[in-house]
Amino acid sequence: MFYREAGQFKTSYTSDQAIFPIRQDLWFIALVLLAAFVAVPLLMQGADDYMYQAVLIPFLILSLAAIGLNILTGYAGLLSLGTGAFMAVGAYATYKITTSFPGLDIIVVFILAGLVTAGVGIVFGLPSLRIKGFYLAVATLAAQFFILWLFNKVPWFYNYFPSGTITAPPREFMGVLVTGPEASAQSRYLLVLSFVTVLALLAKNLIRGRIGRQWMAIRDMDIAAEIIGIRLLPNKLLAFAISSFYCGVAGALYVFSYLGSAETEAFDILLSFNVLFMIIIGGLGSILGSFLGAAFIILLPVLLTNAPQFLGFAMRADMQKHIEFMVFGALIIIFLIAEPRGLARLWQIAKEKLRRWPFPY
Amino acid sequence: MDFLNAILVTPFVEIADSPVFFAEVAINGLLTGVMYSLVALGFVLIFKASGVFNFAQGIMVLFAALTLVGLMEHGAPVWLALILTVGVMIALAFAIERLMLRHLVNQEQIILFMATIGLAFFLEGFGETLWGSNVKKLDVGIPDMPLEFGGILLSSFDLIAALIGAVLVASLAIFFQKTAIGRALRAVADDHQAALSVGIPLKTIWIIVWSVSGMVALVAGIMWGAKSGVQFSLSLIALKALPVLILGGFTSVPGAIIGGLIIGVGEKIAEVYWGPAVGGAIENWFAYMLALAFLLFRPQGLFGERIIERV
Amino acid sequence: MTTPDTTTAPDVPDAIAGERTDRRIIGGELLSVDDISLSFGGVKALSHVNFDIREGEVRAIIGPNGAGKSSMLNVINGFYHPDSGAITYKGQTRKEMRPDQAARQGIARTFQNIALFHGMSTLDNIMTGRNTKMHRNFLWQALHIGPARREELAHREKVEEIIDFLEIQSIRKTPVGRLPYGLQKRVELGRALAAEPELLLLDEPMAGMNSEEKEDMCRFVLDVNEEFGTTIALIEHDMSVVMDISDRVLVLDYGVKIADGTPDTVRSNQQVIDAYLGVSHDENRA
Repeated sequence: MFYREAGQFKTSYTSDQAIFPIRQDLWFIALVLLAAFVAVPLLMQGADDYMYQAVLIPFLILSLAAIGLNILTGYAGLLSLGTGAFMAVGAYATYKITTSFPGLDIIVVFILAGLVTAGVGIVFGLPSLRIKGFYLAVATLAAQFFILWLFNKVPWFYNYFPSGTITAPPREFMGVLVTGPEASAQSRYLLVLSFVTVLALLAKNLIRGRIGRQWMAIRDMDIAAEIIGIRLLPNKLLAFAISSFYCGVAGALYVFSYLGSAETEAFDILLSFNVLFMIIIGGLGSILGSFLGAAFIILLPVLLTNAPQFLGFAMRADMQKHIEFMVFGALIIIFLIAEPRGLARLWQIAKEKLRRWPFPY
Repeated sequence: MDFLNAILVTPFVEIADSPVFFAEVAINGLLTGVMYSLVALGFVLIFKASGVFNFAQGIMVLFAALTLVGLMEHGAPVWLALILTVGVMIALAFAIERLMLRHLVNQEQIILFMATIGLAFFLEGFGETLWGSNVKKLDVGIPDMPLEFGGILLSSFDLIAALIGAVLVASLAIFFQKTAIGRALRAVADDHQAALSVGIPLKTIWIIVWSVSGMVALVAGIMWGAKSGVQFSLSLIALKALPVLILGGFTSVPGAIIGGLIIGVGEKIAEVYWGPAVGGAIENWFAYMLALAFLLFRPQGLFGERIIERV
Repeated sequence: MTTPDTTTAPDVPDAIAGERTDRRIIGGELLSVDDISLSFGGVKALSHVNFDIREGEVRAIIGPNGAGKSSMLNVINGFYHPDSGAITYKGQTRKEMRPDQAARQGIARTFQNIALFHGMSTLDNIMTGRNTKMHRNFLWQALHIGPARREELAHREKVEEIIDFLEIQSIRKTPVGRLPYGLQKRVELGRALAAEPELLLLDEPMAGMNSEEKEDMCRFVLDVNEEFGTTIALIEHDMSVVMDISDRVLVLDYGVKIADGTPDTVRSNQQVIDAYLGVSHDENRA
């Protein structure tokens, strides 16, 4: 009875097409943003960085990658197993650009790195003209293995350091140190949060317009899409480009705002699978789902690390990893069977139940 | 200039210089290729019969090997361990059909594929929970001695493995073409509804197919495991099998064989002759790039069926 | 170019179409198919077929199963490419059409087996029909302000008109996968109409419908033809529908044209009767 749309009549198409047509949803999101931008930093003053470092920052960054993959796989229907490699491209591109042009604003560097990744994405997306389904997935696998091999073998990419790692140099934004070992967790968090908020909004806009519809049409029945005049190749390449942009920025943030330094192993095929799991569990074709799935995948290991202590027995680290695998695998299957539209759909169902609450029908 | 030289000239010079060594590399590649073919075969079987691309095939290889080794470590003699493992794989097939396949019958291929990815992760965690995750040595009594044929050095193990692989492949091919069950399998692959309507029991067929695949996985697991130890990287072979299938066509048994051989040889030759010029480890991506090139020019593979879409 | 034929079509009986006085004007040739042949492997789908469609008319294509009717439509909108022959559309002659070309030039169609986008709602499906008329690039779309926003709203209005016309307001936001068959066919018609086509190809638009649904569908088809002047080519098996609403009928059998004319002439054509009754052609020649 508190959460309902009765009485909220849409008097124009504009209001019907708003992202959050139900007023309560709008308040909710406003609240979440307020909490994220203001409350969290206030609450965290003086506390240690665990919450930031282990939960919030990776959650945001992986949500961004999940949005990227969702655009490609969830909306456009092009399965990709190369997310890790695209994130690597973003990271290494950022590294090369900022070490070659230290004066360039770091925000600009991130965006440029995203554009580079978009270019790479287009190249590996070219086969989608002739192949689809899991044949296309193999093309992305080729990207995954080849790109990582390239970054490993060609020393130019890591500025000839013998260790082969790339490290984020200290950079400032508006006078505050945001990358590098001295940057505070809070400033890193706010930077990531800002990027994610803006990019998520842009993604949502794209999805609910003509381009989103074209992608979904291609996903659902590309022959029919072609017949009503949707050109397949430009749209598929656009999906690859935009998806790669998002993954590239996520990868850049992954190293610069989270890990601090990384080798190619950080971007291996396991990462690609993890992001894929995020969007399956969270919900294919849903921006909200990308966040929910990322939250889930981040929180589960945290839970598994801490639960045994709560329950009073110890669990070896590698056993924990095995259990993680089992749980992930089982959940994927369960979700695909029971609710292929993932947590996002469950969320929707919960909202619909909420409309009738507290009345039973 | 040096680099161009190393790519375009040196390899061919080296090949011409020592044709015997080249033959050795090629044949070793072929033997590896047989192993790839074995794994790819498991894929083809399942794909032909149920239209499912079973990403978990690689894990099944690992799981089978792990179970075998685990049982042997607990004291079971080889023959008993083998029988038990076969039993386990059949039980696994039942479980997969009951818990997973049955509920996903009408979903599109991509959903099924993702479900098998989930299955792969589950089996991996499960296998390692049961049997531990250290590298294990597997010894099934196949001798590993160097043999020499006209200057070419080969391992007896590789040869025997190739032989076993060939026998397995041949028997499967005959099974498909000549027996009633084989015919039923092909009917199911063509059209589930039609097969049902002539009384072919879908569920039984699936269980049979997944069991047979399980056994193929077991053989592959034994071969690979005995050669390089039973460990997690076995499961990455599943990924390697994808390029094999693309070359050979997803629905073709001879295609899986030939594709595996081509990938095996190609990889080895590329690594030995071109690898040094670019720092090595070409094997990581060569197969995929080859598959990619193939996809662009002949998407249905060497032997696959052309896909015609109707509206 | 033939001079426009300004005779009005005869009044048709009420049987299904209801009261209908005909004030349409049938124009000159819009599409002409010349000597088209098409085969798949060894099967000849179409053999040297010739016919034309005039602006503003309702053209029916009939024939027993497997006669090549759907193949004919597929050739017209470019999904199949003929082995030989030519297609002349709006004065331009081509050896073959490309699907997106056909769409941009004002040809829209529906499909025998419904080709809707199951993941999307009715509204979104029909909006995809507006696709050829929407142009703002993705950067504007991402910002969703100014030109992109206005464009989206303008097209939304147009689509709502179609939704009103087809009386499907209540299912506007429902994912089409959940709709009953009859409504899905209506949504598909809506998507075709959204493109504001000059030539509308309908492949068995009334298949699988009960008589009430058929009446509604007929009414929509006729309204589209009368109010918007859209030329219609339709494949249909229900003879009473064909006889009632079409101006001219083309009959195919085994990929060959066996009759072409007004419903009455075709109805009494012996070859047509034989084709449907399955009498062998050799016997007939005696």
